[in-house]
Amino acid sequence: MKTKVTKEEGQIIVAFTGRLDTPAAQEANPVINPLLDEADKTIILDCKEMSYISSSGLRIFLTLRKAAEDKGGKIIIQNINDDIRSVFMMTGFLNLFEIR
Amino acid sequence: MNIHDITERAKKHVEKDIKRRSRWTGLLLIIAAVVILEAISHVQAYYAKDGIRQEAKAKAEGQLNAVRSGILNIVNQAESAVRNNVWLAQWCLQVPDSLANIPKLIVNNNPIIAGSTIAIVPNYYKKRPLYSPYTAITNGEIIETSLATPEYDYPSKEWFTKPIELDREYWSEPYIDTGGGEILMTTFSVPIKDNQGRIAAVLTADLDLEWLGTLVNGIKIYPGAFSTVVSRNGRLMVSPDSTLVMTTTINEYASSVKDSADLNALNRAMLNRESGNLPVTVNGIKNQVYYSPIDKTGWAMNIIIPEKEMFAGLRKLDNLIRMLQIIGLLLIVMIFRSIAKNQLKVKYISEKKEIMENELKIASDIQMSMIPKTFPPFPERKDIDLSAALFPAKEVSGDLYDFFIRDEKLFFCIGDVSGKGVPASLLMAVTRSLFRSICAHNDNPKNIVTSINNSMADINENNMFVTFICCVLDLNNGKMQYCNAGHNAPLLLTDKMHELPVDPNLPLGVMHGMNYTLQEVDLHYDDAVFLYTDGITEAENQNHELFGLQRLKNALSGRKPAQEHLDNVKKAVADFVKDAAQSDDLTMLFFHYLSHQGKVRKLHLNSDIQEIPKLSDFLSTVAEEKKLSQSVATSINIAIEEAVTNVIMYSGADSVDIETESNDNEIIYTVKDSGKPFDPTQTPDVDTNQSLDDRKIGGLGIHLFKKIMDSVTYKRLGDKNILTMIKKIG
Repeated sequence: MKTKVTKEEGQIIVAFTGRLDTPAAQEANPVINPLLDEADKTIILDCKEMSYISSSGLRIFLTLRKAAEDKGGKIIIQNINDDIRSVFMMTGFLNLFEIR
Repeated sequence: MNIHDITERAKKHVEKDIKRRSRWTGLLLIIAAVVILEAISHVQAYYAKDGIRQEAKAKAEGQLNAVRSGILNIVNQAESAVRNNVWLAQWCLQVPDSLANIPKLIVNNNPIIAGSTIAIVPNYYKKRPLYSPYTAITNGEIIETSLATPEYDYPSKEWFTKPIELDREYWSEPYIDTGGGEILMTTFSVPIKDNQGRIAAVLTADLDLEWLGTLVNGIKIYPGAFSTVVSRNGRLMVSPDSTLVMTTTINEYASSVKDSADLNALNRAMLNRESGNLPVTVNGIKNQVYYSPIDKTGWAMNIIIPEKEMFAGLRKLDNLIRMLQIIGLLLIVMIFRSIAKNQLKVKYISEKKEIMENELKIASDIQMSMIPKTFPPFPERKDIDLSAALFPAKEVSGDLYDFFIRDEKLFFCIGDVSGKGVPASLLMAVTRSLFRSICAHNDNPKNIVTSINNSMADINENNMFVTFICCVLDLNNGKMQYCNAGHNAPLLLTDKMHELPVDPNLPLGVMHGMNYTLQEVDLHYDDAVFLYTDGITEAENQNHELFGLQRLKNALSGRKPAQEHLDNVKKAVADFVKDAAQSDDLTMLFFHYLSHQGKVRKLHLNSDIQEIPKLSDFLSTVAEEKKLSQSVATSINIAIEEAVTNVIMYSGADSVDIETESNDNEIIYTVKDSGKPFDPTQTPDVDTNQSLDDRKIGGLGIHLFKKIMDSVTYKRLGDKNILTMIKKIG
């Protein structure tokens, strides 16, 4: 699992690669936490290379979403595959996120 | 028991037995030999004696004939010398003075004639009443004298009276001539008749008989044999005892010995002019006497052969035969002893062999008991169909195989010790022990093989080695790691059949510190692995062709129960080699990795979130086995990961156990832990329709597995939380 953060003008792109399972989510936390302060911006979570997500991964997304809500930022999730989409559906994430 | 003990035991046991038996057999054999040899000797003696008698008779008769013709030759000469002058004598009767020339003529012309006379019948001439001119040769000198002396008185002599009396030629009795030296003489006399037919004179020739003894005893047919010649009256003319010559007659001699019966019979026969053969015992000495008359002279001659002499040759022969018999007997005894010894040796060797074989059998039993040979080995497991077989070429084998399961891993190996027989089997036992002990705490084939190699290289003084291949299969995911040490490549049976790629590496025991390489292959359900030793591919038939890999592959075609595969290979090899002797051990192991259908799979994890990838591997193996779609597999993975993560993060347990069980309709996942009691089914459902502000960060995991799985139940058994999740499939 790799988590790559790219900061552009006005937006931040976070690209996940591989399985975002529980240990991967723990690894990703130190990368994601600093972004909470920048939740006033648009943060794009790119899931193009992500094959799997556990509840820990979902928590990361939800944490970011709440921070953005607080700070007036925006979270966009893009390129999710069908498996992840079904997880999002089961967990109501499809309603909470802007997914494209 | 060591070899020395075996030797001693066999020796004692056999020696006693053989000694007892050989003593009696030997005695019987020798007695039989003596009886047979003795019988042969007697029959031989009988025929030999007969033969010797025949031979003696022939010899004696030959001798008699020779002597007789020798005598007759001389006698004839003497007779002729006289007869030839008969006409002259008749003619000279008219001229008496000329008569003296006739004896002179006879003596001069005939060297064998010692003397001659013409003796006129007394008073035939009126003027010369006695007239007998005599010519003799004495010491080479011719002397002419007259026999008409008063001392000699020739008209009274036998040589003169007998021919006149008988009116025919006459040979006188032999006599000792005293006139010209003591000479044995005989005289041939012929009556001379005048014109009127009256006997007027007797013409004689004296025959010196000195030659007679020489002639008679000239040829000795046996060393102790001797001859006698007797005159018409039985006087001895030739005798070994010279004092008897002319002084004794044979009858007188016979009366001088005690046992004269035989001698008398002989004398009678001889004096009767008979010829023949008589046994004569004189003075206790047995003789064979051959006798024959000598024509004209009235003499008889015999040859006396003492039986002792006659059979001297036979006795020599008999002695020789007896010596040969004794030598033969000794040889028989020696041969018998040597045979008995050999028998002893053979018996002893075979008995020793028997003991060795027994011990080898025990060694073989012990050896075979070291390798697992109960099949199927894991009857409770439906995911493993494994069978192995070892057919030793000798009593004990240098091959090995082994397998066992530890921590859901199947360890299996095969090996081939260089050489055969007991040394190889011992090294095989060592290898197997090392394999077991090292595998107890090691599941990396590279490390296992390296450790075995180092241990073995340290103790390998005989430079033996073992080709070996060790495989460790993770039964949860089909990942098989293996390490080869110089063994031939196993066959991997997937859709196709091919040799598992193996790094050659050095065999075990060759070099300490050798680096072995680890290899890996993923086994899928229904794949199979066939390990074997080169005894199979190198099995040779009578034409020295090898069984080879292709025949092996043919024998392994199709997917059958492991035991059936082994039977097929064994039969194919047997059909191929036919009557050729098995030259190498045949060892093989067939492992068929079966689907987990209906079987429990287990995973044990430490309570560490870093263990989660193992869970993913485990779950994907199950998914693969059940041929689940990627999305179903992923969602199940999420569900189980959530359940396990909960335990790891919150239960406080040291570890967590996951089991799966499946049938055609569902997969049952059970998560067990010994942590604090917690029933996730009792947690309230997450309301996914809540607004973002109302949503809680936590609780999603439990929500997910409840959502994903078709059934989630919890129970507390003892100190264990048991969460059972069922996913319907198919």
